[in-house]
Order: sequence, then structure tokens, then C-alpha cells
Amino acid sequence: MKRLCTVGFVLLLLVGLFVGGSAQVKTLYWNLNTEPPTLDPALARDTTSMLVIHQLFVCLTDYNSETGEIVGDLAKSWDVSEDGLKWNFKLREGVIWTDGEPINAYDVVYSMKRMLAPETAAPSANLLWVIKGAEDYNIGNGTADEVGIRVLDKNTVQFELRNPVGFFPALATRVCVMVPEQVVEKFGSKWTEAENIATSGPYMLGEWQHDDHLILVKSPTYYDVANVKIDQIYNYMIVEATTAMSMYEAGKLDVLRIIPLEDMDRIKTDPVLSAEFYQADEFCTYYYGFNNEKPPFDNLLVRKAFASAIDRESLIKYILKGGQKPAQTFTTLHIPGHIDGVAEGIGYPYDPEAAKAYLAEAGYPNGEGFPEVTLMFNTSEAHSTVAQFAQQSLMDTLNVTVKLSNQEWKVYLETCRLDCSQIFRMGWCASYPNGYDYLKRNFYSTIPENNANYKSEEFDHYIDVIESETDPDRIMEAFLGAETLLCDTDCAIVPLYYYTMNELSKPYVLRSFAPTINDIPYFKYWDISLH
Amino acid sequence: MIGYIVRRFFWVLPVVFVVSSVTFMLMHAIPGGPFSAEKALPPAILKNLEAKYHLDDPLWKQYTDYMWGFFRFDFGPSITYESRTVNDIIANQWPVTFMLGLASFAIAVGFGIPLGLISAIKQNTVVDYSAMWFSMLGLSIPNMALGPFLIWIFALKLRWFPVATWGGISHVILPAVTLGTAYMARFARFTRASMLEVLHEEYVQTARAKGVPERWVLLKHAFRNALIAVTTIAGPSFAAVVTGSLIVEQIFAIPGIGRYYVLSVTNRDYPCIMTITLLFAMAIIVMNLLVDLTYAFIDPRIRYS
Repeated sequence: MKRLCTVGFVLLLLVGLFVGGSAQVKTLYWNLNTEPPTLDPALARDTTSMLVIHQLFVCLTDYNSETGEIVGDLAKSWDVSEDGLKWNFKLREGVIWTDGEPINAYDVVYSMKRMLAPETAAPSANLLWVIKGAEDYNIGNGTADEVGIRVLDKNTVQFELRNPVGFFPALATRVCVMVPEQVVEKFGSKWTEAENIATSGPYMLGEWQHDDHLILVKSPTYYDVANVKIDQIYNYMIVEATTAMSMYEAGKLDVLRIIPLEDMDRIKTDPVLSAEFYQADEFCTYYYGFNNEKPPFDNLLVRKAFASAIDRESLIKYILKGGQKPAQTFTTLHIPGHIDGVAEGIGYPYDPEAAKAYLAEAGYPNGEGFPEVTLMFNTSEAHSTVAQFAQQSLMDTLNVTVKLSNQEWKVYLETCRLDCSQIFRMGWCASYPNGYDYLKRNFYSTIPENNANYKSEEFDHYIDVIESETDPDRIMEAFLGAETLLCDTDCAIVPLYYYTMNELSKPYVLRSFAPTINDIPYFKYWDISLH
Repeated sequence: MIGYIVRRFFWVLPVVFVVSSVTFMLMHAIPGGPFSAEKALPPAILKNLEAKYHLDDPLWKQYTDYMWGFFRFDFGPSITYESRTVNDIIANQWPVTFMLGLASFAIAVGFGIPLGLISAIKQNTVVDYSAMWFSMLGLSIPNMALGPFLIWIFALKLRWFPVATWGGISHVILPAVTLGTAYMARFARFTRASMLEVLHEEYVQTARAKGVPERWVLLKHAFRNALIAVTTIAGPSFAAVVTGSLIVEQIFAIPGIGRYYVLSVTNRDYPCIMTITLLFAMAIIVMNLLVDLTYAFIDPRIRYS
């Protein structure tokens, strides 16, 4: 009997220890919304994949969302040659993969050249084209040896650029992600499965049950593991916003990022939910573009009239209700290159009288003789609501008829690519923290993505300055010049608002709400208090 | 019988040919491709991607390559989910959908047929009216309303079941009820109608006249014949529930194949669209064959040669 008691006591003690121990494990319950299409940094082209990849792999540099600065990650420091072409990155020493292999300059060269190899078919490889020889290799006209990335010593890597791109470290936050050569070469396309993968970031892949859940576990080999506080991140993949909302209310999710519109009013009045509700800026711009070559929008005065007839403040206050910020310039808030159009008087604020005057000057007094025009957007309730608001405003102010038309997303993109309608909806989110990404990739006259058919030598010149100038003042001047042309002088587009993200976040989740690229949460800085 | 089955199987080939070629033509006719995105890819990058997935081959070659693979059970890579092949996706997600479908079907048959039976026997009574009212309700409530409603009552308020996601048996109940309710209603109404029809047949009257106990008349003479009509809808219903439902899988966050089917069209994931369409078509063919064979067992008048 006595022995039985002892055994029982020991068992109880063990259970107690186990329960006590497991209570210390800090787990964050997160919703990825969907299955990440890939965990291969070279192949990712969507934000869900990028979110997970960011937790798993170290990058050469990183974005500090609190200060807006570019900081080192794998790179400890860097310097640039006087002509701005050669960037030397000194790497942190002693960084290792989860399989114990070291990460050094050879891994950087391997990862970047793998991304550029035509057979990898990396969708974002073009971001690396600023490197000398990279474009030629990527499109099959050159060899890997001609690419300007080289190992200087085990812990120093050099990038030789074709232009003195001053924002190269910012660009590197998005594309210079290291992959483990030993694993990639061994497992091929299956290297990202949980049983094969080796990672280097603050978290490692504990489990990946496709389309169901993905568990990230704090990585003991991460170089800054001492400062990572949350032990485990359990990621659900719930597509349906109402279901995720129910999960949040049932305490199964700690953060909810897509809030069902129908729950918005309830959240704002509910004492508990309203205290857990946050609005944070996002690096995205919502805009209406004109097809600058299609009549009547080939007429600058007509474009100006339309731009002045939309009341952004009312749109945000009565229709969107999400605390969005009115936009008069294209590059979004907080991004280097952002120009505050409202403060600087660039772009067209709502001014019905001016709008009428522009239209009259264009030959259509009070809208007389103005043809019916089409505003097109991709099928979605939200876009439709904004379009109806614009349609009504334009009709009320200018007495013109605007026909609304919508198409399924990919059909819409194809329509825009081939022959965009007179007015079209589009948005842009920063790929990396620099306005160059906004302006060059949408409106440079020779690029195929220029849906607005905007062609301006002067604008192109400003972009050329941004990518080849080293003096920060002259770069800023070029940004100002380019935005002024795009949104004011030529009025090629009408920026409507900068996005905000509405989030519900449990009070015990200790975290920042500062905007990040692609809204990637920096779990490594987050914590969970006892609850 | 065997000859009949073999002949029916040969018919699968032309059906697969028609379904595959029409699907292939349609999916390539829709504007936009797997790589269209808001951040449009430069033409050179697009060329690399198309070369990787052989989308730069002539269409006839893409079709024949795919079909050659299909008959060897190699369904190709998924263009959207880069580290997974379509075989991986089918092997991962279809069993989940199948389990859910099986549970829904069990609910549909297990509750639907008795409900119809009772209604028919107690025709024009309160029992009949309430059973039919209930099944009408089941038919008219769409899944996208029933699902969240069940979650609200049984997961959020009563906390009997989890809100969503896939796991043990408790995760199956709510989605299976959501998916099965409409089918249950259909079974109930079909059973009732065919029972009523059969009950007025002369041989049933004869059986009654001979003094066969009423229970035997109902179960052995009437119900067995009424089952023929029910079997006719059972086949396609079974094929429908085991091929998944976008809405139910989405509401309950279930990693099933139904969701993939719709997503693959949205994403223009060509190999995925082709494979799932063909497999679903085959599932329907097989179910129809099974239904035809079942007739022979239920109705002695039907024989195949």
C-alpha cells in the first residue's frame, strides 16, 4: 500500500510538472486565411507565402517598422563604393541553418543566382535586375558567372549594380532571402516540406498539414533566439471571414485581420470587442486610373474635371468607414518617396466648382455633349460600392453618365493589359520600402504594366534620376517631380486613399501595430502575457 | 451481367475524351492565365514561368501530354501550389471530402428515408405535415446560411462542437449536418412520393386482401419497390456529396477537394482543373453504373444481359 502511495505521488508530481511546464509554452493562434502556395523564397508571389517565409528565413537586410530604417539581418553592416555601384555586405558570423550547416557568403551567392536562373522561373527575379548581368542571365542571354555577385571572403559578399541604386538595401529586404543549398539540391521541389526543410529565421517549420494548419516553432539555432518570446505560432487556414470571426470570439484565434463587414457595427459598440479593435496603416494605395489614350480622357481638362469631382473624405467617412487616409499622390504614407499631396497642394482635392469649370473649358459645359464613359473594376462588393459612390458623385457634380462594368479578377487583369477601359480601378502595395517600386513599375512609359498608357518623357527622366542618383536631396526632388506630373500636371490617375488594416487583437498579445511591407507580422518581437 | 459491366466501362473512354477536351478548350479560352496578377510580371519572367510549366508548347501538345500523364496517374504539377503535385493534392484532400461526404450521406439516408416513410404511412396527418414542412425547410435553407447558424448555436452558444477546422469526430458533425440536410429533405420527399404511388398499386391491395399483416405489406411489398425511385437519386447525390462543396468546406475550414476545384479555376491552375474535373466525371459515371446495377437487385423485373 505504501509503495502504491509513493508511485501515485511520483505520478502526480510528474503530471504537475508536465502541466506546469506546458503552461509556460507561449502559443499564438493566428489565421493565415489560406494555404501558403509555397515556402520557397524564390518562388513566392503572394503575401501569405511571404508572411511564413519571413518567419522561417533570414534575409540580408530587414525593415524596422518602428523607425522606418533598413537594418541588418544576416548582414551585420554594409558599405558602398564612391560611384554607388559596388555594395559590400559584411555578414553576421556564426549564423547556422537548423540542420547545423553554417550560413556564409557562398549561401548568399547561391541563393541569388538560383533565383536568377531561368529554370527556377522566380516571379520576382526582375527585382534583382539592378545587379550587373542579372537580367541577361535571367532571360537566357548570359551566364551565372557574369552576374555581379561575388564572395570577397567567407563573411563578405559583394553586389555590383548596373546603376548606382541608392535604395539597394531596401530592395534587399524583399529579395535577398537565403535558401539552404544542401537541402534544395537534395530534395528538389519537395525541399520546403516539413520533413525536409532547413531554415534560418526566428521560427522553424514544426508541422505543415496542407490546407489545414501550419505550426511554427521557435528555432533554437536562430542568431537572436534569446529575444524571441513566443514559443509557437499555430496557424489556421480559414478562408471564410465569418468563421474566423467566430473562432476569434470562441478564443481560438488571438488576432483577426479580416473582419466581416457585417460585424463592424457590432464590434464598434461592443465593450469588449471595441477595446480589442485597432486600425493600422498599410503600405497600399487605391486609385482610379484613366486610360490616357482613350477619348475623352486623352484630354487633360476632362481628367482634371473627373479628378476634382470625387469627394474622398465622404467616401471614407460614409462608405468605407475604415479610417482610410485620403490620397492625392500615388506613393503611400511612410514610404521613402511619399509626398504629402494634401499638405503640399499636389493633386486634386474635391472641388465641384473647379470640376465644372474644367469640364466646360474642355468643351462640355454642364456635361452637355459628353459621351457615356465606362468605369471598370474587378468583381467585388467593396469595389462595387466605391464605384457606385464615384458614379453618383460624377453624375451629381458634372452631369455625366458613367457606366459601371466589372469582370472576374484575372479576366479583368487581362482586359487591362490589352486595352484598359476609360476609367479603371487598381491598387498597389509596396514590394519593398521605396517609392521607386510604385512609380517605375506602374507608369514608366516603356513598361507593359502601364495600364494607364501614360507616356511622359519628363516623368521617365525623374525615374531615371531616382535609380541612378546617389544624392538623397536630388532623389527626393525627383520623387516630388514625378508625383507632381503623375497626379497633378498630367493628372494621369486619381489616387483615392491609402489603405488601413482593421484588426482585432486580444489584450494579452503584446505587439506593435506599425505598418510593415506586405503586412508581415514580426512575431519575433511579439509577446504574450499570462492570461 | 459481366458483359454489361464491361460494355459500360468501355463507354467511359468517349466520355473522358469529351469531358477532357471540352474542359481543356474552355479553360484556355477564359482570359487571364495562372500568372496574371495585380503586380504584372515582365514578359521575360513570364516566358521563364511558361517554359517551366510547358505552357509555351502548342495547345494540342499540352493536351496530349496531359492526357498521356492522366492515364498513367501522373496528373502533373500544381501551378499554384508550387511544391505540390496534383497527385499530392488529390491524395491529401479527397479523403477528407470523402469522409465528410460519407457522413452527410449517412445523415441524408438515415433520416431522410424514415421521415419519408412515416409521412407516407401517416399521409395527411399532423406527422406528415410536420415532416414535410421540416424537409421543405431543409431544402430551402442554403448551406451558406445553415452553416453559420449551426456554428452560432452549437459552437458559440452551447459549445458542444468546435467552430471549424478538421480533426476528430466532433469536427465532422456540424459540416455533415449542413451538407446533408438538403439531401435528407430530398430523400424524404422522394421516399414519400414513391411510397404513396406504390401503396396504390394493385399488388399491394392484393397483399392486403390476402391478409398479409400491414407491417409486411409496407416493408416487404411497398417499400422495396419504392426504393427504386430513391436509388435513382441516391447515386447522383452520393457522387455530389463525395466530390465536395465549396461553401461547406469554406465555412468550416475543411481541407477538402471541393474548395480546391473552385480555387483552381480562379487561379487558372490548369492541371488541377483538368484532373479534378475528370475524376469527378468518373465518379459520376461509376455511381450511375452502380445505381443501374442496384436496380437489378431491388426489382426482379430488371435483368441485364
